Amino acid sequence: MKEGATNKNGLSRVDGRLKVTGAARYSAEFTPAGMVYGVLAGSTITKGSLKSIDTKAAERAPGVLAVITNFNCPKIPGYQPEPGKPEPAKGTYKLFYNNKILFNGQPIAVVVADTFERALYAASLIKAQYSADKHITSLKDNRDKGFAPGDGSESKRGTMDAWKTAPLKLEQEYVIPSEVHSPMELHAIIARWDAADKLTVWDKTQGVKDTQDNIAKIFNIPKDNVQVNSKFVGGAFGSALQVWQHEVAAIVAAKVVKRPVKLMLARADMFTSVGYRPHTWQKIGIGATKDGKLVGITHEANGQTSTYEDFNEGPTRVTQSTYACPNVNTTYKLTALDIGSPTWMRGPGEATGAFALESALDELSYMLNIDPIELRLKNYAETDPESGKPFSSKYLNEAYKLGADKIGWSDRNPKAGAVKKNGWLEGYGMGGGMFGAYRDQATCRAVMMADGTLLLQTAVSDIGPGTGTAMVSIASEAMGIPAEKIKFEMGDSSLPYAPQQGGSSITATVGSAVNDACKELKEKFQKLMGNGGTDNPDYAKILKDHNLPKLEVTTASKGGEDMQKYAMYSWSVHFVKVKVHPSTGVVKIDKVVCVADSGHIVSPKTARSQIVGGAIGGIGMALMEEVVIDHRYGKVVNNNFADYHVPVSADIPQIEALFVNKPDPYINAMGAKGMGEIALIGMAGAVANAVYNATGKRIRELPITPDKLIQSNAVVGVDS
Amino acid sequence: MKQFQYVRASTQQGALEAINKPGAKIIAGGTNLVDLMKRGVTAPDKLVDINHLPLKGIAATKTGLHIGALALNSVVSENNLVVQKQPLLSMALKAGASPQLRNMATVGGNMMQRTRCTYFYDTTMPCNKREPGSGCGAMGGINRMHAIFGASPQCIAVHPSDMCVGLAALDAIVVIAGRKGERRIAFTDFHRLPGDHPESDNHLANGEMIISVEIPDNNFAKNSYYLKVRDRQSYAFALVSVAAALDIENGTIRKARLAMGGVAHKPWRLFEAEKALIGKPVSEDSFKQAAEIAMSGAKAYEYNAFKLKLAPATITEALKHAAGLV
Amino acid sequence: MASKNSSNEPESEVRVTDGTRRDFLKQSTLLTAIALTPAPLVKAAENGWDEKIAAVYEKVPVSIEVNGVKHQLSVEPRATLLDILREQLDLTGTKKGCDHGQCGACTVHVDGHRINSCLTLGVMTSGRKVTTIEGLAKGEQLHPMQEAFLKHDGFQCGYCTPGQIMSAVACIREGHANSEGEIREYMSGNICRCGAYPNIVNAIQEVKEGGQEV
Repeated sequence: MKEGATNKNGLSRVDGRLKVTGAARYSAEFTPAGMVYGVLAGSTITKGSLKSIDTKAAERAPGVLAVITNFNCPKIPGYQPEPGKPEPAKGTYKLFYNNKILFNGQPIAVVVADTFERALYAASLIKAQYSADKHITSLKDNRDKGFAPGDGSESKRGTMDAWKTAPLKLEQEYVIPSEVHSPMELHAIIARWDAADKLTVWDKTQGVKDTQDNIAKIFNIPKDNVQVNSKFVGGAFGSALQVWQHEVAAIVAAKVVKRPVKLMLARADMFTSVGYRPHTWQKIGIGATKDGKLVGITHEANGQTSTYEDFNEGPTRVTQSTYACPNVNTTYKLTALDIGSPTWMRGPGEATGAFALESALDELSYMLNIDPIELRLKNYAETDPESGKPFSSKYLNEAYKLGADKIGWSDRNPKAGAVKKNGWLEGYGMGGGMFGAYRDQATCRAVMMADGTLLLQTAVSDIGPGTGTAMVSIASEAMGIPAEKIKFEMGDSSLPYAPQQGGSSITATVGSAVNDACKELKEKFQKLMGNGGTDNPDYAKILKDHNLPKLEVTTASKGGEDMQKYAMYSWSVHFVKVKVHPSTGVVKIDKVVCVADSGHIVSPKTARSQIVGGAIGGIGMALMEEVVIDHRYGKVVNNNFADYHVPVSADIPQIEALFVNKPDPYINAMGAKGMGEIALIGMAGAVANAVYNATGKRIRELPITPDKLIQSNAVVGVDS
Repeated sequence: MKQFQYVRASTQQGALEAINKPGAKIIAGGTNLVDLMKRGVTAPDKLVDINHLPLKGIAATKTGLHIGALALNSVVSENNLVVQKQPLLSMALKAGASPQLRNMATVGGNMMQRTRCTYFYDTTMPCNKREPGSGCGAMGGINRMHAIFGASPQCIAVHPSDMCVGLAALDAIVVIAGRKGERRIAFTDFHRLPGDHPESDNHLANGEMIISVEIPDNNFAKNSYYLKVRDRQSYAFALVSVAAALDIENGTIRKARLAMGGVAHKPWRLFEAEKALIGKPVSEDSFKQAAEIAMSGAKAYEYNAFKLKLAPATITEALKHAAGLV
Repeated sequence: MASKNSSNEPESEVRVTDGTRRDFLKQSTLLTAIALTPAPLVKAAENGWDEKIAAVYEKVPVSIEVNGVKHQLSVEPRATLLDILREQLDLTGTKKGCDHGQCGACTVHVDGHRINSCLTLGVMTSGRKVTTIEGLAKGEQLHPMQEAFLKHDGFQCGYCTPGQIMSAVACIREGHANSEGEIREYMSGNICRCGAYPNIVNAIQEVKEGGQEV
């Protein structure tokens, strides 16, 4: 198949050929002249201070060029407090800034050597002396230390705790463990100083412009002097939304050794140093009338953060805006632990909250003896219940129907634990997701070349969903030319501005810029042609007729005032059929149907893959993912892919991804909303609900591993 | 990883001489050894590559099946003789690791693989197996994957192999070569319990190497099953695994072989349960009784109590599969 | 095995050493590098000079054929095939995802069989034939599995993709692609965090059913 060729399912990935041939180069895959290797050594204690570091053996080891620690690190200008001002109490972690140890695995040294093997070995020779303080790393044991984050953590509409007055009510606790993004590509950077104040990096990042900005600030050099390259990103899911300490380490090391330095994290570092989804405890009180109208919901949450940053991901937001419930109050507290900071992970906040909310709805449905979909339809929100604003678009009810029909929801036995086939219990579950549909600002340069090919340039990154493919689809339609004639350039900080790839906003944001740029370019052509211009002109011919080598526009684009008038969300619903072995507790995912209501689908083929991928992430969350810490040491004990399980092929059946595919009239010209987050949000609840339907066992603490199912005492086959 | 000297052995005698030195280690597939070296758990001065020795053969003998120590896990699992005569071994092998790792790992290497206990792997943690006298990190720590049988106060780690569980059930014999000649020991006597010396996984003496495994002929081919329960459907170590083999005549059990993985420092053969099955009718009840007997003496720790339920359930299920009841 | 034919191969005879670094150096020199080493440097080693000079001798020559091209390399015995491919041969299509045999991103074929190159010491592959993702296409013409991955969108970020494709080709060659369930099991040594598994299975099934030579 030709690269970028279309078929009935939509455009194939425009960068697909590079990826299937191994020609796509990721951040660690460049070799600037004279490049050497950096390896980090991490703290083996969890809290305290570094008394001394013996680096002699490392320095003497073959090939070693430098060993940099907080004792000899050149001053990093951006870390220094503003003159005359006290040091802020909290803020981003500062590498080699002082001798404080804030978490286990915190980098205490970077070793630079001429080969990777030598750097790695030398790093193992570093001996540190610590003064250890008592650490706390358990959320469970320290929930009483929870505090309200400064940037908003409570909400209230109607009467407080109104659920308690309802005829039918339940109150339950739901827990998700910490999860790590675990992109397949290890975080990596190559840093090269081109002059004393001029830097080039090849860096794994979800936003080259943000990384450029942050690095410039940290090293106090002009922004335009920082060139960030990130053309291919091997997954990230949120882990590459900020500049982490290893990036600073490589840049400092390159300065010290005066040579380009490559630094790739080890998989174990990916569990401590590039963020995670925070371990979160939640409690939901929910009450309804006997016919299933919600009376009130109280949603409390307490999640972990680090001691040096408050990370507020808002897990209760989903409860505020999902159902038409008159009385909703929520609180969110943080507990500071001696662990590195959490960060945004696919579906941040909502993925956590939706597990609790969708589980609670399911529990309520059994109490009411009402079908879970019917219960949701009875409380269907036609306008945003929190803000009172109209939704820009919402076709979730259609999504319910599409999904229910596809999975065969009518085969679901409303009685839990009642269906057994060939020795396996079977059950169906569903769970919904929602996430704000955002549109940020972006700029696109569009250049029509003499040969009729269109060049699009904007500084977005693509962590995998297929941004280039979606942008080419949009441009192809806007310009009326085939995808094969369009080249999309990105992942380069010298290109026009685009935001980070995060928050499911890129198609809506950068897509709008591409669309607007194409429209503007087309208008330029139409002006050239005079009034007789056609809809899809022969651009090459016009350029030739006017003796022009090319024609270009640079167009900035942002959302209009509709963004304020409407509540904008993408919606999803996941349906799952599971098989559960009654005596061994093994859960097999048998069928999955996901339906997204995310506006017009601009790139059906990649969109489908994105939904499938998110669903699989949700299956991992539901069934196996959990960062385990031995709190005696404050250390992650399953910091590898053998012990931290993510789904493998054997866990995953065929997954149906369906789209309502109705344009949102207000968000942008394409009518496209985001879908990266909603692909995952709600999935864990759907799986847990299916497991309950199969077994009568309600697992409220993820992941649902065999041990929990065989130890749970619910009685199978009896109404609960 | 520390530097080391690499030599290739071209004869068995050369290999035996090369390893007869402190700090020298044999490397075959390397799937476990290289990993341990990367993590600094072991740091040999010298690696003796034995992959070029003629120890890859699989052949039927007068009394059973001979499998060379260097036969690859993937090759053994697909070998016609193995599939026909000892399907349990094939099933156990296929339940282990991944296709790529099975293409590298050898039979001898699989037997020599070390525990996957996280405290053993992490050189910043205490572990009596890695560093005698440093304590057992797992005992009061995260011991969800750990032993319920045969543990000692020094060590509660489990042996990670699936293949070995199959071989233990099948009464295999291990053929070992040393500079003074060959010796043969029962597979079930090859690995050891931790006792006061958890640093020692097995009874292979310094300077010895495994050269082959022999499985005596039996009547279990029709009624064998390997059942592995794990946190995901593939490419994960066992929570509990069971190798079950039955010799059934007219609905009555003549002989039974049972071994468990994921529960002890060695592949855990269930001799008492096997005895209890002899003469019993093929039924779920017989199997449940045997499973109950098998659990005698089991002891759990903070996070692995579920194995006290999971193990008998898995024994029963494996026996049902072996007997064709599922 | 071609090892016997190469004069650069490490010998199998073993000499006695006292385990010190200097002794190690002498041994390495004697065993592997004598023909290439200038006499003054051997002297330097014997006189126990600086460790950094000693390091020169810690490399051994290996001969590996990668994608049909023979490479005479000098590597440290501890260098893995994965790092040699990526850092010395600039064949970055083979990916590092875990470096411990737990993800499959580094899957390559050695003598036609799929293995994890991160757990394979480069010296052990001396004399063997390695095929990486870069060696799969015939010039501009993609391998049918590469075509099928494009058609079925068997990837998103693309980082696990080379390993998936090498594994997928092996899966069919081994005869392990006879059903969806079998493919899923035999592709479970390759983790895809983006979650392209169903598409990958579809791609493999199509190639298998298409009957093309893989």
